[in-house]
Amino acid sequence: MQVKLEGVKKIYGSRTVLDLEELIVEEGCLFGIIGPNGAGKSTLLNIMAGIDAQTEGKVYYGTDRTEITPYRDITLVFQSPYLLRTTVEKNIAYPLKLRGWQENMLRERVEELMEDLDLTRLRKQKAWTLSSGEMQKVALARALSFRPKLLLLDEPTANIDPATTGEIERMLKKINEQEGTTVVIITHNLSQAKRICGNTAMLHKGRLVETGPAALMLKDPENPLTKAFIDGELLS
Amino acid sequence: MQEIARGITEAIKMLLSFDPEIYEIVGLSLRVSLTSVIISTCLGIPIGVIIGLYNFPGKRILIRLIYTLMSLPPVIAGLVVFLFIMRKGPLGFLGLSFTPTAMIIAQVCLVTPIIIGLTYNIVKEKADRVRRLALTLGAGRREAVKLLIFELRVGLLAAIVTGFGRAISEVGAVMLVGGNIVGKTRVMTTYIAQLQRMGNYDRAIAVGIVLLLIAFTINAILYNIQEKNG
Repeated sequence: MQVKLEGVKKIYGSRTVLDLEELIVEEGCLFGIIGPNGAGKSTLLNIMAGIDAQTEGKVYYGTDRTEITPYRDITLVFQSPYLLRTTVEKNIAYPLKLRGWQENMLRERVEELMEDLDLTRLRKQKAWTLSSGEMQKVALARALSFRPKLLLLDEPTANIDPATTGEIERMLKKINEQEGTTVVIITHNLSQAKRICGNTAMLHKGRLVETGPAALMLKDPENPLTKAFIDGELLS
Repeated sequence: MQEIARGITEAIKMLLSFDPEIYEIVGLSLRVSLTSVIISTCLGIPIGVIIGLYNFPGKRILIRLIYTLMSLPPVIAGLVVFLFIMRKGPLGFLGLSFTPTAMIIAQVCLVTPIIIGLTYNIVKEKADRVRRLALTLGAGRREAVKLLIFELRVGLLAAIVTGFGRAISEVGAVMLVGGNIVGKTRVMTTYIAQLQRMGNYDRAIAVGIVLLLIAFTINAILYNIQEKNG
């Protein structure tokens, strides 16, 4: 699903935290968002997800450019995922129950996701007993369960070990390549952006500084702010 | 100390002798407290959820008022209810004076603010995260509220347990509106107060022990449910 933001601003009191002239996330791409803390990355994602409203501007979804947030086709995985106070498998099944999936189809989909993310052995485990990496995988499985057209992820691998990070990255690439899901990921991990993202946008103080193919932009940035960020010299 | 030891022996004897008077008092205590807690739960949880979820004019004052009512002295609640239901009061025509119904009304006045206040706090703390999650998973408004109540069930149960504790241990309000009439409105707490005044300490302690055992059993059941749900 394509997302296009035009003149989007988010203002809290007298503070403008996001001010974008235009940003387009093309359908089927794996799009990275980078930038220092306080750059407006999470605000941008929340607006795309429709859980926060922009102060100004418009957000269009899909090629028919609807302004109505298609909640049932979009999902967002938070940095600190909130899991329901129940078992792993019931967490994953929840969005499918909301959508009235038949029991056999639901079970099949939950099994498939648990297998893909190595969660099968944890199926009956209560969500609050999981490690942070396991929690993030459950949140990802739950988000993917209903096959969203747009998947938004806010630093999904922050504070997670390299093996689990690898699992999550493989899953994101798989659904992006095989199912054509549009993925937008915020990351502070530049190697990760290089590994998995097609295009990347650099935000700083709420503004779009630079956008382009991840590999190229991170290797040879055009904007001095992007270069400073990559070199670890840009303060928020 | 001797009174306490004798009280324990008396309590065991009392329970084993199946003294009908005691069982009647225990039965009425449970009926009044459980009914008032059920009514307060039905009123308090929806009100607490609404106050926690929505902003409206006067919300801050309302919250302060609820917090004040959470520590409402039982005698004041009893006095107000009594003034309303006494023969010459505005609701006197209902004939509720010195009935178990009056005791239930007084306890509802005491327990409901507790359940509202505790529910409000739980909702305020978690509602935003649950609402955001519900939206990201494609839930509608009604589904989001259902999810919120499901997620808050452990905290809500704790609010109900607290409310039950207040109801079962309450004496001032039920004494004022019920009158401690034998076979009609006498409950364990009012009976203990009367026994103490009569100097019958053994029996007062015995009834106190029975009251504690009941409170312990009900709390243990609710706590067990809470534990199972995390």
